[in-house]
Amino acid sequence: MFEFIVATLTVAGIYGIMALGLNLQAGYAGLLNFGHIAFAGLGAYATGITIQAGGSPLTGMAIGVVLAVALGAGIARLGRQLGADYWGIATLAVAEILRTVATNEGWLTGGANGISPIPMLFDALPRPYDTLAFLALVLGVLGAFTWLTKRLADGRFGRALRVMREEPKLAACFGYNLRSLKSRAVMTSAAVTAIAGSLYAHYMSFTGPDYLLSSETFALWTILMIGGIGNVWGVLVGTAVVQGAYTLVPFAKDYLHFSSDSAGALRLGVIGLILLACLMWRSEGLVPEKLRKMA
Amino acid sequence: MSLKLRKLIVPAAMAFAFASNAHAADDAVQMGAVLSLTGANATVGEDVRRAVALAVEKVNAQGGVMGKKFDVIVEDSGGNATTALNAARKLATVDKVPVVIGEYSSGITLPMAQYLVKEGVTHINIASTSVKVRDLGATSFNLIGLENLGNKFSAADAWALGYRNVALIAPNNAYGQGVAHGFREEFEKLGGKVATELLYTAGQSTYRRELQQASRSNPDAYIYTAYGQESAVLNREAFELGLRQKPWYAILLSMSLSDTPANIANGQLGMEVGSVQGANGKAYIDAFQAKYGQAPKTSYTGYAYDAVMLTAAAINKAKSTQPAAVQAALKDVGKNFAGVTGPISFDADRQRIDPPYAKLKYDGKVVPR
Repeated sequence: MFEFIVATLTVAGIYGIMALGLNLQAGYAGLLNFGHIAFAGLGAYATGITIQAGGSPLTGMAIGVVLAVALGAGIARLGRQLGADYWGIATLAVAEILRTVATNEGWLTGGANGISPIPMLFDALPRPYDTLAFLALVLGVLGAFTWLTKRLADGRFGRALRVMREEPKLAACFGYNLRSLKSRAVMTSAAVTAIAGSLYAHYMSFTGPDYLLSSETFALWTILMIGGIGNVWGVLVGTAVVQGAYTLVPFAKDYLHFSSDSAGALRLGVIGLILLACLMWRSEGLVPEKLRKMA
Repeated sequence: MSLKLRKLIVPAAMAFAFASNAHAADDAVQMGAVLSLTGANATVGEDVRRAVALAVEKVNAQGGVMGKKFDVIVEDSGGNATTALNAARKLATVDKVPVVIGEYSSGITLPMAQYLVKEGVTHINIASTSVKVRDLGATSFNLIGLENLGNKFSAADAWALGYRNVALIAPNNAYGQGVAHGFREEFEKLGGKVATELLYTAGQSTYRRELQQASRSNPDAYIYTAYGQESAVLNREAFELGLRQKPWYAILLSMSLSDTPANIANGQLGMEVGSVQGANGKAYIDAFQAKYGQAPKTSYTGYAYDAVMLTAAAINKAKSTQPAAVQAALKDVGKNFAGVTGPISFDADRQRIDPPYAKLKYDGKVVPR
């Protein structure tokens, strides 16, 4: 039981980091990125490929971050001539292209079989300290990024992003370079998410094209919408609620003696219900963003 | 931070309450299964779940295990590796089952089984055919023929049917890539030639481009494998394009033709992992039919049934649910065990010796040839 809780918290923590990354773009800057998982995928694959080539975990993570930031810069450029909604579709396409490449370039990515095994980072420690150390690492990174994105959000950069989101013309009048603001938001978010992807690859000791499915991006969007988009605490609450629901349903099934054929559907249904309920009664999320009202 | 902590601790505490309650409620001997009950392969998952339920009934009708009620905790893999791994974690660390069977897709089975092996829990593979299954490690057992054997079988069969220059069509995933590359290797060893190799992207509304590309190489026969819904489109379009004048040979025939109308499917040849054999097999199919009103849709159900029966026999023999004892017993029980998929014996690598394959054709329905 103890190990299971540790595992649940670890996975929740990793998803939390990815959601924090998405929140930087979607929450503060109002950028509809539907291909966000591409950054995590790059982190995971960079780690897998580097480890397979004999590199160290840190090198893998660093390469992943560099690649993701480069991709972020590219995606942000892509947005120059596209309206927000068209840009969203373009990002979805970028993630799908990456997934297709990952499936087909078997010499590099292991094809559809993916790359395994990738060592967990603390295999040398005796149990259960290896998993605990990993959890501590994940929570440390989560804490650091929570603090960092909170600071970013409360600082000049975050305020500029919010003005851009609400009133792009006003932001331009203030002298902000909108393109540079967008690029920086996407690139920062890419770096954060790539680190999460890298951690995920280590934790699962596996990387595969399924990591890049668009449903993963929408799972992150679900977290944001339930928790409260644009609010760091909202993101964390959303992560806890969604991961909690995912984890609890199998237990609820054993406890309430549901037949196992409905349990799978129940899991999807519960998330859908929470999302619907949030949209109907708490459309800003459970912990809404607090905006200073101008009189 | 305190808010976040509270939000995390509350579900955890509830989980604990649920779990301890569930344990107190029934004093049964349990094993686990991770199946794809939702997601792309939900049809297979549900089919296999029925077989598992049938096996549990059978074991309990015979008096259970170690004098107690026997039960299989079935978890959903959602068709993705993360959910499957979480399910395996729950089974291994919360329910503490000695044996876990599953999953379907190799891309999910491999990471899940690696985790189970690391935990020392027994894994029994019932459906994944990637050759990497063989290397999973000391506590992983395998009941089904892996793709190297399957490719050898289908290549030899195609060669014996007189095909020399073939077009190969398979889905672009772990399964399809393995079949395409493996078949080519085995077929070329025999002296045959693969004129075109097409890996199609699943879920398209039409495959005309792929089919026309394949027909341009003017093969003597088309060798293909496809999941039911997709091959319904593939087969219909091949029929319309007049490609069926050449023979069509399906690798895993019943999977490939499950959704294709009989008038289009008629005359196709193919092979399959053997589904059921002998009197045991027939009794199993009859019991399945009686309970669910239809025969199993896929060949994997027999392997799942056998895996559950083997586990029950092994726990009975070991008189213990300690994974190590159960594994030792599995090796003992797995010597000519009378399964519904035929006799089951494991080699030194815990792989099934001579897993069954069948040569089939479609003549109104799938029949042996």
